[in-house]
Amino acid sequence: MKLPTTQLTRLLALLLAFGLVAAACGGSDAEDGSDAGSSTDSSEEATDDSAADSTDDGGEDAAADSDACGAGATTVGFLYVGPKDDFGYNQAAYEAAVAMGESTGVEVLHAENVPETIEDAVPVMEDMIAQGATILFPTSYGHFQPAVEVAAAHPDVCVVHQGQLESSLDEPLDNLGTYFASVFEPVYLAGIAAGSVTESNTMGYIYAFPIPQTLQNINAFALGAQSVNPDAEVIAVSTADWCDPAKQAQAAQTLLDQGADVLTQHQDCTKTIIETAEAAGAYSVGYHYDASELAPEGWITGSDWAWTPLYVDIVETMIAGEFVASPYNGDYRIGYQDADAPFVAFEPSEFGAVVDDDTKAAVADALASLTADEDGDGVGDFNIFAGPISDRDGEVRIPDGTAPTYTELDELMGFASWFVAGVEGSLE
Amino acid sequence: MIEAILVGAVRGGTSIVYATVGETITERSGVLNLGTEGSMLAGALAAYAIGVETGSPWLGAVAGLVAGLALSLVHALLVITRGANQVATGLAVTFLGIGLTSLYGQGYVSQGVVPFESVAIPGLADLPFLGPILFDHDPLTYLSFAIVPAAWWLLYRTGLGLRIRAAGERPDVLSTMGTSPARVRWTAVAIGGALAGLGGAQLATAFARTWSEDMVAGKGFIAVALVIFAGWNPLLTIAGAYLFSGAVAFELELQARGAGISIFVLDAIPYLVVLAVLALLSGRRRHAAPESLDSVFDTGGA
Amino acid sequence: MNAGTKVGVNTLRPVLAVAATLVVFALLLVVNGSDPVAGYQAMWSSVTRDANSFGDVLVRLTPYLLAALAVIVPARAGLFNIGGEGQLLIGAVGSMAMANALGQALPRTLTLVLMASAAMLAAALWAGIAAVMRETTGTNEGISTLLLNYVALLVLGWLVFGRWKDPAATGFPRSRVLEDSESLPILWGRVHVGFIVAIVAAVAVWAVLRWSRWGFDLRVLGGNPEAARRAGLRSGRLATSALMAGGALAGLGGMLQMAGVENQLRQSMMAGYGFTGILAAWMVRQHPIQAIGSAALLAVIAVGGNGLKIRAGLSAASVSILMALLLLAILGWGQARPGRKGASA
Repeated sequence: MKLPTTQLTRLLALLLAFGLVAAACGGSDAEDGSDAGSSTDSSEEATDDSAADSTDDGGEDAAADSDACGAGATTVGFLYVGPKDDFGYNQAAYEAAVAMGESTGVEVLHAENVPETIEDAVPVMEDMIAQGATILFPTSYGHFQPAVEVAAAHPDVCVVHQGQLESSLDEPLDNLGTYFASVFEPVYLAGIAAGSVTESNTMGYIYAFPIPQTLQNINAFALGAQSVNPDAEVIAVSTADWCDPAKQAQAAQTLLDQGADVLTQHQDCTKTIIETAEAAGAYSVGYHYDASELAPEGWITGSDWAWTPLYVDIVETMIAGEFVASPYNGDYRIGYQDADAPFVAFEPSEFGAVVDDDTKAAVADALASLTADEDGDGVGDFNIFAGPISDRDGEVRIPDGTAPTYTELDELMGFASWFVAGVEGSLE
Repeated sequence: MIEAILVGAVRGGTSIVYATVGETITERSGVLNLGTEGSMLAGALAAYAIGVETGSPWLGAVAGLVAGLALSLVHALLVITRGANQVATGLAVTFLGIGLTSLYGQGYVSQGVVPFESVAIPGLADLPFLGPILFDHDPLTYLSFAIVPAAWWLLYRTGLGLRIRAAGERPDVLSTMGTSPARVRWTAVAIGGALAGLGGAQLATAFARTWSEDMVAGKGFIAVALVIFAGWNPLLTIAGAYLFSGAVAFELELQARGAGISIFVLDAIPYLVVLAVLALLSGRRRHAAPESLDSVFDTGGA
Repeated sequence: MNAGTKVGVNTLRPVLAVAATLVVFALLLVVNGSDPVAGYQAMWSSVTRDANSFGDVLVRLTPYLLAALAVIVPARAGLFNIGGEGQLLIGAVGSMAMANALGQALPRTLTLVLMASAAMLAAALWAGIAAVMRETTGTNEGISTLLLNYVALLVLGWLVFGRWKDPAATGFPRSRVLEDSESLPILWGRVHVGFIVAIVAAVAVWAVLRWSRWGFDLRVLGGNPEAARRAGLRSGRLATSALMAGGALAGLGGMLQMAGVENQLRQSMMAGYGFTGILAAWMVRQHPIQAIGSAALLAVIAVGGNGLKIRAGLSAASVSILMALLLLAILGWGQARPGRKGASA
């Protein structure tokens, strides 16, 4: 073999050597006075680095408990798994992050299209830390493992992850939290509306993968519909992808052919399914984003994200140095059942023209009973998944007398995958 | 159920029909283009963007065709003029297509487009069974019905087709006759790219009615596989494309009917079907491959 | 090639191609209203930030390089392996299966060696599907390995949503987390020993291809199948062994990724690393040692790409554009146009 490209190799070696030197210089800055060579855990240097940064930038706002993660933060970093204008999950988070920045005055760093691997997401977060971020919001469900890595390596940085549960870790971390919204509650309400509107009593649910939130949504949608229409059935179909519009279109067609006259979904991009339903004269229930304009004829309702107040509250709690004692340090779930919560993060969309007043009243009643707290225990009196609830094969999954909390539900409907009666479709 | 699967096969398969026909013409000239995936993406975005800006899906389709063609010229330049390896170049072109469309598509994700609507053909659409399968589609699907025989006619009944096939089988003879095989190949690659772009246009503005990043999701690669299935015969490409998308429809149908099979197994069906037919047919098809394609997988560059 | 006068130009060509790519990319940034200088600075500072960011390059290099080697070995026999991504995943699955089977009964080193062996075996068999299809039915291995990527991802999904789902994960689809005795030693930060293994593998591949009988036979087969047949080589077996060896190398990469970085199986544990490996292999036209350099360059771009996203506010897509332009430039202009042999010329 001839080696015409040795030159390239040399160039690369030069690049790398330069990188090494630069790294060494950067390292000695941070490790001033400490033993440079034998540091087994580079987190120390990074910690020194970012601590220095944050005092530089945010000196005037030094909080009382300045050791707490995120205390006095001036910069907050957000990671999104997809494009920040996806008309769905990521866009909702992005817009709320921008609004949070305007409201709190912190600088917000954004990184879109961050894959969920540790190898991709951790460097992004560390880059944000190097730019002074002491609060990080990895917003995708699969960003959890990278989030744990970063939190463990940077005790002074608060990491709050959107979607999973910190209690799934062997050792919870003081600077790590997880939060999410009880997405299934607005979906249950939408189920009531859809169950009233459907004429064929068959509704289609297009989803990606049977993760806990998706299973809760599908089951809640069916229970909501059945609460007003005992004959209502849901057919659930997976596309095995969070956003594959062609597969969505094909799945929508399959469901329409099966007689579904309402289509809803748990996907990252939502437009195709709504457009397909509208073109076929079927009804739509949206998700993530109010897409009523796409379906002027068939729009029933949907559920939208409203993250801003929660983001603001989380960031302000951290800036004040109060994260550790706050509910955000753990498995935080926000929803209508939390009777004392001043806001929720996932709300029903506006109703479409096809929803009559009786149905709107039924939805309003259900919403009121979710939040009503007659017994004053701080938990809404009506629990959608209060036992006894059996799966479609008749096995009791939630026993009589059990009213699962939001976090318990992730285990009850997630580790085991099951559908309630009236839901058709394959599972794994 | 059979009718539903066949309807799904046609609806979901149209974009793949275009790409497969295009790739067949390209390969007939002796060039393999894995950049088909990228051309489909370019076509999808261009069609969608122009559709949004002008309100005309037809102008969008033209833009999709041009964009798919434009990207394929990168492949032609490298492979034909610069003699670069075809497989590696095709993959790089696809990477480029993914990157460029993702960059320039950002503003269009949330925009609505005036889509190609289905046009039921009066009378025929009411036929039992065949009506919904063949006669209730968007205009680009009807056009695809015509593209397939047109490609056959091009390859076997025109001078250009003769030159394309000669470039693929006997480039030396073509040279002796005073025609540059390189020029013929440029043409064939461009036609392939244009058709892939049109397929992308159908995907974005007629079938899925949206633009989203990387929305072609491997259909361009599937098209390249299906060319082998079709034995480089344009008339058979349509069967290959419908087989793949019919398998998708079949899998979804099984799910909807609650077949007690894992969704992961079901989702693998379309890929396994393509692998299986390739295994069954490759031996028989081998002789059908254009001679020059043998050197496509010539990996010894160094 | 005209020896002598052309040599200077030809050795400089790849460098010029890289430089031209940087210029073209800069123009693209300008067209999009971004400051290219700031963009490159952002990339550079993301790479040279500290020991961690430099370590990220080494960590990233590992799967790129092994995926590149998975292309290089079959290419020597004239075969195209586009299945690196799936083979990485199957390697990760194989190593987890071994770890599960061992149940921490053995010392760490032995455990890791067995996990790596299982990964290589599993991925070699996975690539072997394509090899067998090629030998028995003549199915093009480029196409079949490409299609098998999709299937591999579904195999992984089936496992982490099914029998390997971790009960401690409260319903989230992932396998159990590896214990310390099942994961690779960490050198510093996130840098695990994997990059050393990968570089050793590259040298070993180079040595084997260059010095061994097998390597010689592969070259004969790749250079001229007809001559190979006349020389009495069993081309079917050789081709199969080359493809399976490629699979094994990618499988090793999957094991290193699993036991060194992720420590568990998840659906989103490889983000196209197998495809980037193909770019790395072709940038140096299948030279195993030089692939260390190309994998490093792509790793620098990938890590630096974070800076483009965060510091320069550019779309993530710009990174794939840069990588694609780089490969196109090197493929098209990295060497003098090869002679008109065959029709692909």
